[in-house]
Amino acid sequence: MTRAEDAEFKIVFTGPMGAGKTTAIAAISEVEPVRTEVDNSDRESHGKELTTVGFDFGRITLPGGHSVRLYGTPGQARFRFMWNILGRGAAGAIILLDATRADALEQLDLFVDAFVPLLPPGAIVIGVGRSTESGALGSDVFAARLEARGILAPVLTIDARKPHDVRMLVHTLTCILESRTPLGACA
Amino acid sequence: MSRTSNSRVSREAAQKVLQSYRDVLGVQCAVLFSADGFELASYAADDAASARLAAIGSSLAALGSAISSEAGLDACERTTIESKGGTVTIMRVGDDGDMSLAVVAGRNAVLGQLLWATKRCCQALLDNIHT
Repeated sequence: MTRAEDAEFKIVFTGPMGAGKTTAIAAISEVEPVRTEVDNSDRESHGKELTTVGFDFGRITLPGGHSVRLYGTPGQARFRFMWNILGRGAAGAIILLDATRADALEQLDLFVDAFVPLLPPGAIVIGVGRSTESGALGSDVFAARLEARGILAPVLTIDARKPHDVRMLVHTLTCILESRTPLGACA
Repeated sequence: MSRTSNSRVSREAAQKVLQSYRDVLGVQCAVLFSADGFELASYAADDAASARLAAIGSSLAALGSAISSEAGLDACERTTIESKGGTVTIMRVGDDGDMSLAVVAGRNAVLGQLLWATKRCCQALLDNIHT
């Protein structure tokens, strides 16, 4: 029972460029996160200044004492090799989406397709950001898309800058994991 | 064109500089790329291969910087991957970290020669940057 993987597990934050993965990890990590951000030269895809090209790394401790390693992926499809590297051995994934992007549903499909094969069954939670802005898709639209595809995953509306919201995503995911695997008593 | 930081070196000039790898023993291909993983110029690599090398190279360059900084060192200048089949070296072009050069060489390459040639290539690329 003292194997490292019993006491510590890994969650991946993924989703398209600009969805808030680096921000979310920084919002809740108990240690200064490792970042690999560089100048974004592709301002057509997204107007932000910096973009992650390696991975983010942070860490939190759950109320039950489990230590969780948090990894953030790059968002662009050309970094798909990093998705595979980071997804390997992950207990679950949190897919962050931007509800104001016209291609948000296609992005949902892209990341679900990429990560479902890498993860234990059902170990995905969706976090939808900017859902209160004008023109944003409602969370029910994302839920319907998942349901139509036969994928069971909670959809939460969040603000990636708010530690409470990001912890809620992690808590939701760990509750799913605890209901399936012997990680210990639910806190 | 919305590429902001890397348009200062022309593809033509960079391609020309990379041609110097013809004379370096064992070099199979080389790709110049932006910090965020876009191919800017290449030598002996087709479009698909150079796009992939550019993306992976930018991740490695960023991870090199992350571990240098974690260890309290100066900025990462070069990352070299060695395997039985050959070597890949990734070198930062200049000090601002906007671009890096990845070079793939077979096992017949001489490491010192490869690194020296790559350093010279990075310098030549810098000399071609228009500010």
